[in-house]
Amino acid sequence: MPNSDGGEESPHESEAATKARSPEIRVVPDSASTNSRMPAASVVEPPASIEQSNSRVLELLARVRDTRAALRNSPFAKLQATQEKFRHVTSATEDAASNIMDSCDRANALVDALDTIDAAEQPDRAAALEIRSRLRDELFQMMSALQFQDITSQQLNHSSAILSEVEARLFEVAQYLDGKGPLGHTSTEATTAPELLTYDPDATMKHAEVRQALVDDIFSDSRASAA
Amino acid sequence: MKFLVVDDSVTMRRILVNSLQRIGYTDVVEAGDGQEALAKFDGSIGFVITDWNMPNMSGTEFTKAIRSRPDGATVPVLMVTARSVKEDIMVALQAGVNNYIVKPFTPQVLKEKVDALSPAAAA
Repeated sequence: MPNSDGGEESPHESEAATKARSPEIRVVPDSASTNSRMPAASVVEPPASIEQSNSRVLELLARVRDTRAALRNSPFAKLQATQEKFRHVTSATEDAASNIMDSCDRANALVDALDTIDAAEQPDRAAALEIRSRLRDELFQMMSALQFQDITSQQLNHSSAILSEVEARLFEVAQYLDGKGPLGHTSTEATTAPELLTYDPDATMKHAEVRQALVDDIFSDSRASAA
Repeated sequence: MKFLVVDDSVTMRRILVNSLQRIGYTDVVEAGDGQEALAKFDGSIGFVITDWNMPNMSGTEFTKAIRSRPDGATVPVLMVTARSVKEDIMVALQAGVNNYIVKPFTPQVLKEKVDALSPAAAA
């Protein structure tokens, strides 16, 4: 094949001749010719940057594994319980409102009955006295129904503590993934002794009579054993 | 007889005070936590009704504190709390609580417990 100078290009042109014609071209030595001058490992070893990237990827994978384990053991499991608490709050407020409305209806009926007695030519004072007593009972029932406020506020405090715990854990995980901190166990409620909490995590409006019976049994047994 | 009602919930304190008034006990002092209750506790208090979970000082801590004082060793203490696990009840007993009411309670239950623990009933 003719070259640019008009001569024939030899397929076996020497390295010196090639360099002479194109000095910017660097000929990569074949393995046979370099074996004697360069260690074989340097040919197959990846560049340092690839090694660094690889170790970084491995490190990140380890962090992801740690993170997954941490999230599994974290308060995320409690989120379901939190949803349950919210349902209880909804149910308790609905029940309380319903009970108070029922008491209001009965109280209104009693007031109507008192009006009827008062409108009579000879009011029945004894009947009026009895109705007033029932009216006071209804008002008292309404007041007692307001205990739901204390119970539901405890349920909401518990849910709020869980959400704060989840927020702290997510922040910790983000810091860990950024390599800014270790994965610890930032926990608020879990690390607080139950008797020192300002609320009862298990507070409920349900089965009060059954729970009171359990208490009474324990106190009876305690008194019997003390005697 | 003077009552000391201890609860961090204003609603619960009002319900307890009203309930006591309804059953004939009108002399009532209130406190929002164990620490405040301890400051108000003196020889004139004849009956204590306390919640468990409160800031600064819990009901069990408060009970232990008054039990260690000469003027609080025999005063009836009635705990009114949402806690109803057996282990909790045992802790309350060990703290020196005389009886225990689970929230939410009925006025009848409160009357029964107060009447049973009042010094007049004991006599």
